Amino acid sequence: MQPLLDIRVERKSFASTPVLTNVHLALQPREAVSLLGPSGCGKSTLLRIVAGLEKDFQGQLRSPEGEVAFVFQEPRLMPWLTVEQNIGFSDDSHYDKAWVAQLIEEVGLKGFAQALPKALSGGMAQRVAIARGLYSRPQVLLLDEPFSAVDAFTRMRLQDLLLQLAKHHAIALLLVTHDVDEALYLSDRVLVMDNRPSSIRQELAVDLPHPRDRRDPLLARLKALALTELQRAHVI
Amino acid sequence: MTSKTQTVPLAAPLVMQRSAWPRRLKGLVLPVLILLVLEGVVRIGWLPSYQMPAPSEIAVTLIDLAEGALWKHIGVSLLRVLAGFAIGASLALVFAAWVGLSREAEAYLEPTFAGLRSIPSLAWVPLLLLWLGIDETSKIVLIAIGAFFPVYLNGVAAIRDIDRKWVEVGQMYAFSRRRLVRRILLPAALPGLFTGLRSGLSLAWMFLVAAELIAATKGLGYLLSDGRETSRPDIVLAAIIVLALLGKVSDGLLAALEKHCLAWRDTFNGQGAEQ
Amino acid sequence: MKPFAQRLLGACALALCLQPQAFAAEADPAQVNLDYAYYSPVSLVLKHFGWLEQALPHTKVGWVLSQGSNRSLEYLNSGGVDFASSASLSAVLSRANGSPIKSVYVYSRAEWTALVVRKDSPFTSVTDLKGKKIAATKGTDPYLFTLRSLQQAGLKKDDVELVHLQHPDGRTALEKGDVDAWAGLDPHMAASQIQAGSRLLYRNKDFNSYGVVSVTETYAKEHPQTITKVLGAYEKARDWAVKHPDEFAKLLADESGLPLEVAKLQLSRTDLGSPLLTRQDVVSSKAAAPILVSEELVRRGVNVDQVIDQLIDTSFGQALPKP
Repeated sequence: MQPLLDIRVERKSFASTPVLTNVHLALQPREAVSLLGPSGCGKSTLLRIVAGLEKDFQGQLRSPEGEVAFVFQEPRLMPWLTVEQNIGFSDDSHYDKAWVAQLIEEVGLKGFAQALPKALSGGMAQRVAIARGLYSRPQVLLLDEPFSAVDAFTRMRLQDLLLQLAKHHAIALLLVTHDVDEALYLSDRVLVMDNRPSSIRQELAVDLPHPRDRRDPLLARLKALALTELQRAHVI
Repeated sequence: MTSKTQTVPLAAPLVMQRSAWPRRLKGLVLPVLILLVLEGVVRIGWLPSYQMPAPSEIAVTLIDLAEGALWKHIGVSLLRVLAGFAIGASLALVFAAWVGLSREAEAYLEPTFAGLRSIPSLAWVPLLLLWLGIDETSKIVLIAIGAFFPVYLNGVAAIRDIDRKWVEVGQMYAFSRRRLVRRILLPAALPGLFTGLRSGLSLAWMFLVAAELIAATKGLGYLLSDGRETSRPDIVLAAIIVLALLGKVSDGLLAALEKHCLAWRDTFNGQGAEQ
Repeated sequence: MKPFAQRLLGACALALCLQPQAFAAEADPAQVNLDYAYYSPVSLVLKHFGWLEQALPHTKVGWVLSQGSNRSLEYLNSGGVDFASSASLSAVLSRANGSPIKSVYVYSRAEWTALVVRKDSPFTSVTDLKGKKIAATKGTDPYLFTLRSLQQAGLKKDDVELVHLQHPDGRTALEKGDVDAWAGLDPHMAASQIQAGSRLLYRNKDFNSYGVVSVTETYAKEHPQTITKVLGAYEKARDWAVKHPDEFAKLLADESGLPLEVAKLQLSRTDLGSPLLTRQDVVSSKAAAPILVSEELVRRGVNVDQVIDQLIDTSFGQALPKP
């Protein structure tokens, strides 16, 4: 099957410091892939290259036909717009109200359509950001450490929400995280990355059906593998 | 979960009672005190009344003026300030946007503006009088110059200060330059722009007085110099009071507009918001 | 220049130790400040020769240039000068508005003001000025001259547009075409006539008021001997000026920076013959005063005649040798 997304980075540097070297990643439809690695290892950079936010690299990118949406680490909502307007941001003032309303309900924020971002908690704001990502009906959703700024319990709820949305809207996920548990819980494949200059050290396949149980022993075994690899890479 | 719950009477009404009134009254204490002291000191004779008229005398003068030409002077001055401010602020916004958004424009224009900005206000007066004569034109241009720089400076800073994170959102959606400006840069720069506008307005008033002190036939600044030339310090003070009031009112209107447009801001607003 | 604030503090300090000083024999003051002006040529002579410095050897003498009666009186009221040179009618206006001043000497009687128009101007009489712009320095004799001329021609001050500009700026405005007429004052008026060919649209010797030296009431009470000495020095200067007309004109030209002919024209319309204030002066001031009331330049309810009586002090002239 033709991959939805194919990215090959031979080399990417900031100033003269190489950050990524020889990275190859292909994403299938409806697949969830996590990039796991330490801060500064270039995983966010890789994601930004896929999103088109970084254009200066040596390699090739083949993006999907449809839309690619991005969810940042911080919600990055426009503070002068309501939740509704933020979600429909890409369509200016003539956004699809019905679709927005549906998304608001799906992310669990019913009743907050007219609220301003200053009235939202961190978790709520991130839900709006996810809804915004979904608004353009993307085929791929790119997420850069999307839940690192919220507390552990909110994080778990948001992870479940993400899985639910991905399933419902048939979206592929490419997720960057430094949380091993999160990577394993969400993904079909976990790519463990090096310190910089970074490449993919190891690929762990998570062959568990959804919905997953966080207590599943397979997840624990995979976690041990991941940690071992990270230790070998002198990350921890 | 039910139990023997007791509804606690709401303490809310007590909170409401701490309304704005006592706060406003506190603000009046100092001015009233000063007025009373002045009145007493002048009446006793410690301060000569031909140099510092008693507040009661100034009040009488104000009433006299109000029955006569005061409104004409106010009208003329207001028109000048508004015209000058409108022109200066609009030009400043245009230039601020241009310089803020384009590194090239900044490289070419910023040094010139920096130089012009450091020219003290009163230094412009003889030059403008020479080039533009003693009519309305020179006065309005002077006021426009005064309003220009604060609006321009704050505008540029506001645009530069915009968080890159928001701009990236726009870039992610592949916004065109114009769309980026319209949807993200302008609204995000609004708080800084308002600061500039308020500052520009107060400077416009200041430059108005400077303009009217020289070669005017009507206006509040003219009234000021009128009092000076005919040994009428009470007229001088009356004019100052009217100017202060008008300045405060116009700033208040702008502040109200700012509050309305910037209601979305999530900022520190003094101790314990009693919204 | 003693600023107002300094004076305020001084007044408070003075209040504490006032009484003993008043009755002591008057010593020469530590400092005395006078104004000098191009419209008072004798002041220029006095300043040039230093006769006052000789008369008051233990006193620091300060000189302040005044650009017009309005400025002189302002300096006097704020304590910037102790002796101010102004038109007598301007002094009346100032006193009528509450300034406690006294006029003690006449520094000149001149036809120093008139309504001036450009040489190519179409106006032929004062009535032609209706609705036009006239530059006039508020609070000075030219301004009052203008009002009196307008009144005589049946116009009110609202029938024209009076632009407030200091004397030299008024001349510039006329010659540049920014105003239609200018209430001129010598030497600027003479300079405009000679250098720019401006002509005098309307002259009236009677509408010119004589020039006086004034002091504050307090000063008159506390330093009568200083005043006499200052006036004595003024007399010396006046005497020299009368006796040396050519050098006088040259001195005026040098000081004001204007050509000799201008100085000569100004002096030709200046009379230095009678420096003492007389009953006649009181009468002529009272005759001129109604304009102040009719044009609402003074506060309502002020008795201008009474003001003039309080203003003019003929006593200091008595101590001087008769000219």
